[in-house]
Amino acid sequence: MKSFYSKKSVTPIMIVLVAILLVVAGCSSNQNSTTATDNKAVPKSITMSWPRDIGTMNPHTYNPSQLFAQSMMYEPLVSYQSNGKLTPALAKSWDISKDGKVYTFHLRPNVKFSDGTPFNADIVKKNFDAVLKHKDTHSWLGIVGVIDQTEVVDDHTFRLTLTEPYYPVLQDLSVVRPFRFLGAAGFPDNGDTAEGIKEPVGTGPWLLSEYKQDEYAVFKQNPNYWGTLPDVQQVTIKIIPDAETRVAAFEKGDLDLIYGEGVISLDAFNQLRENQEYTTQLSEPVGTRSLLLNSSNPKLADIRVRTALNQGFNKKDMVEGITSGLEEPADSILSKNYPYTNIDLKPVTYNVASSQALLDEAGWKLPAGGTVREKNGEPLEFELIYDKTDPIQKAMAETIQAEWGALGAKVNLSGLELTVQIKRLKANDFDLYFWYNYGAPYDPHSFINVVASPGFGISETLSAVPNKKELDQQIRATLSSTDETKRQELYRSILTTLQEQSAIVPISYIKKTAVYHKNIAQFVFPANRDENPFSGITLNAQ
Amino acid sequence: MIKRWKAIFLGQKAIMICSILIIIFFGAALLAPWIAPHDPIKVNLLQKLKDPSAEHLLGTDHLGRDTLSRLLYGARISLGFATVIFISSLGIGLIIGALAGYMGGWIDSILMRLCEGIMAFPNLVLVLGVVGIFGPGLMQVLLALMLVQWVYYARVCRNMVVSLKQQNFITAARISGSSSWKIIYKHIIPNIQRPIIVIGTLEMGWAIMDISALSFLGLGIQPPHAEWGAMIHEGTSYIRSHPELMIYPGMFILVVVVTFNILGEALSEKYGVKRR
Amino acid sequence: MIGYIGRRIVAIVPIVFIATLITFALIHISPIDPAEAYLTAAHIYPTDELLQQKRHEFGLDRPLLVQYVHTLGNIATLDFGKSYLTNQPVWNEVVSKLPATTELAFWSMLFSALVSIPLGVLAAVYKNSWIDMLSRIIAYLGASIPQFWLGYLLIFFFAVKLDWLPVEGRGDWRNLVLPTMTLSMVLIAVYTRLLRASMLDQLQETYVQYARMRGLRERVIMLKHVLKMAIMPLISGMGINLGKLLTGTIIVEQVFSWPGFGRYFVEAIFNRDIPVIQCYIFFAACLFILCNLLVDLVQLYMDPRISLKGRAKR
Repeated sequence: MKSFYSKKSVTPIMIVLVAILLVVAGCSSNQNSTTATDNKAVPKSITMSWPRDIGTMNPHTYNPSQLFAQSMMYEPLVSYQSNGKLTPALAKSWDISKDGKVYTFHLRPNVKFSDGTPFNADIVKKNFDAVLKHKDTHSWLGIVGVIDQTEVVDDHTFRLTLTEPYYPVLQDLSVVRPFRFLGAAGFPDNGDTAEGIKEPVGTGPWLLSEYKQDEYAVFKQNPNYWGTLPDVQQVTIKIIPDAETRVAAFEKGDLDLIYGEGVISLDAFNQLRENQEYTTQLSEPVGTRSLLLNSSNPKLADIRVRTALNQGFNKKDMVEGITSGLEEPADSILSKNYPYTNIDLKPVTYNVASSQALLDEAGWKLPAGGTVREKNGEPLEFELIYDKTDPIQKAMAETIQAEWGALGAKVNLSGLELTVQIKRLKANDFDLYFWYNYGAPYDPHSFINVVASPGFGISETLSAVPNKKELDQQIRATLSSTDETKRQELYRSILTTLQEQSAIVPISYIKKTAVYHKNIAQFVFPANRDENPFSGITLNAQ
Repeated sequence: MIKRWKAIFLGQKAIMICSILIIIFFGAALLAPWIAPHDPIKVNLLQKLKDPSAEHLLGTDHLGRDTLSRLLYGARISLGFATVIFISSLGIGLIIGALAGYMGGWIDSILMRLCEGIMAFPNLVLVLGVVGIFGPGLMQVLLALMLVQWVYYARVCRNMVVSLKQQNFITAARISGSSSWKIIYKHIIPNIQRPIIVIGTLEMGWAIMDISALSFLGLGIQPPHAEWGAMIHEGTSYIRSHPELMIYPGMFILVVVVTFNILGEALSEKYGVKRR
Repeated sequence: MIGYIGRRIVAIVPIVFIATLITFALIHISPIDPAEAYLTAAHIYPTDELLQQKRHEFGLDRPLLVQYVHTLGNIATLDFGKSYLTNQPVWNEVVSKLPATTELAFWSMLFSALVSIPLGVLAAVYKNSWIDMLSRIIAYLGASIPQFWLGYLLIFFFAVKLDWLPVEGRGDWRNLVLPTMTLSMVLIAVYTRLLRASMLDQLQETYVQYARMRGLRERVIMLKHVLKMAIMPLISGMGINLGKLLTGTIIVEQVFSWPGFGRYFVEAIFNRDIPVIQCYIFFAACLFILCNLLVDLVQLYMDPRISLKGRAKR
């Protein structure tokens, strides 16, 4: 009997199994080399984290390149500053023809790319042509659809001819991509940058000096930079995908700065804000969180129902309660810090009594003993779609559900993945939907564009608004207007109509957050939502 | 000392204590609308994230809802749906198992191969697969859990029927002219009661765990209904400042499931029934 | 013995077959049109024309039997189609996610074995002592504690409060500690009880009495003889409990943002990425069956007597 188990021992099998598994696990564990960049040794440097790798640094393509990183190396002709002011960047001045169709840019002299080659009209045209080769990719940007010709007038003059007048040309040229300029050395042999670039060569203040994919990127100052160099001399970007890890790294002092939108949880933000060792700062509104009330739903086609819902929840308490001041209650769809939007619109105020009266008037009556209003036997019931990964949306959805429920309007919540959500928005398959506008420098013109153009869900939301056709015409007139005053008037009219119709209910203004250690003396948020913040940072003397 | 402990965990005492506890859980769930101090879905942002007080015994959550009330209402969902799953999968399992055992032959083989096929999948994987294919939602979760759980009852029932069929008293009953249904009712059901009670008790614990896991993943019940798994998920956003929001519902799940498991084990020891 | 292995492998075929049939049936009973699911996941507005075209492309307009045979053929060549979301072959994506999951599963198995073997042995040797009681309490806790809750409790104590370990993500060994502990809990509970029970069984055997009569030291008897025999049920227990490990990784990867196969599966569920769901279910079933077979073979190798009689089903 004994011979059975003494001959065939378990041990060798176990050893072999463990060895195999060890090899498997050894192969699978990723080699994580910590970088030995000693921040203290280099004067005036800062370290920031970012959730994703900075990408290919191609100025003419989108994901996976990160906007902030592209904006560090590449510059626009025109720069977008606070309140929508456009200032010279690589173009020192420009002329616009009377009919609004010809834009002549006088390029800044003595600008050099980081490799020392000169910046001139030829390279501008080369970049424009490379971008326009793929019109479909960039058609979301209005200017792409109206460019007729690009020409080199002389060495430092570049001319753009449009097929029809389109006023936001300069705003569109100020965005981070695709109209920024790559040096000749970066172009591939066939000139098609969509397929990739040889090396990132730009005119911006920063150079990519060290890079390890998914781990870190180090930027140094560009010695050939034409303008004033930033106070910061070196920027290290650490790639940290997880919000909690980011906070831990910041608290340990591995990061000097956390910057962005939604980059840390509310809970963590509040905790950091209470800590005296750090400074927290909020930007001006960069976008609006709105709730779409889809008027193509027969129940929501009635303006009285929409107004009643708009009046029927305590926006101020909700936004302040849920976001702890990280967001600000919004009275109008666009905040006042965009061009043409600094107009006084009548805010919709919280008024339960008036809301109930409106619902009664619209024929939605509470049945005896019931809690949900009815009309012709049909209940006043809606579905609210929210992004299940966004805790703020979820909390707001639950609050709205509770408050509207008290009015007699039943709201069913559906937490969905972002992709499913967007699909339903585009297919016009929703009652209530959380929507965000684009922010500076895209708004207000991109916003009114989606109001008029079908396929983005906004035009559909507004389809039952009585004067929708007229609204669309006004929008087209605005976009092709050449007269400032007239344009301002049109914007006033459009935004007033939208405000009165209550189909897009503004909820809160979203702000960027910055949390930093005491080594940063001053921090100024960029006006352009997508730009990097490094030019606005002043460090304490070390 | 150890003996006493053992007596508590196994044997008559354990059965008594656990049964009483389970009756209390069910009682709390049934009576939630009367005993809960607040409306579980009433949002009051001015009262958010409050510490325990006389008004809110366990404090409030991020929307100012009373945590204790939500936990009590959560018991309704967890225990209620676990019971629904228990009854329906038991029903399906008994019918299919009895059918397979009674008929024998190719019906038996097909049904038993089907059971083995389903058992080849890890439980939660199949449940997640069903939910993934049919889409998230409470009905789908119930359906999926039923789909994986009837198998165990069916196998027990079938084996019992097969072994009983060979025993004399059934043959005698058949000869004496009793109908098939009468035989099932009179002879088979009393014999499978014990294993079913044991499996059922253990399955209740599993069902509660699975429901909460699915809700935690965001696949089960939709807000604003309070459900323990979903409450844990909500609480994790406040793990730094208010960890108790995540700790309480987990303790409830733990206590309820432990009770079911101890009861199941004690019963299986008492009846001499092997666990699944 | 070769014949036995052959028979066992042949016996697997119908089970795998039924597993594919169940997956196939589920997808076809479901109200979701794969063509529509594909288009929506790809952000394409589903027009009737496009739907027709996609249905044809997926072969959905062919008779069910043809489709099923086709599916079987594809699965046999590890072709699970392309993910609706990323348009990459599912198998390639799975292969890129597997190392992370394997890493987690491996360390959890190892850790739970390291804890449960001594604990199980002690619980059996000192039956009814405090250590036996402890093992029993661990068993109840392990079976009843929701894994996601345990994960967050560990995060709360070790990452947030004490700040010893990172909260989430995959990186160096420190990232592994908390997920491994979370995943191991349920395994430790099961293995400890299994080992204790089989140790107690073995202690009843006559060879133990002989050994004692021969005057062998108790420690030698326990470690060299009893444990060696008792560990076999543990090995089969590891195979049978692989399901627990697999579902565990789904939850744990979600809690700790661990970039593995489980998390990929949950994301696919939200996006209705049917090829990925199908692949995961099939993969899980195969893994489960194969491990059970492997366990049988290991047992057979170690003690041909037991296995040839057939093994206990769970």
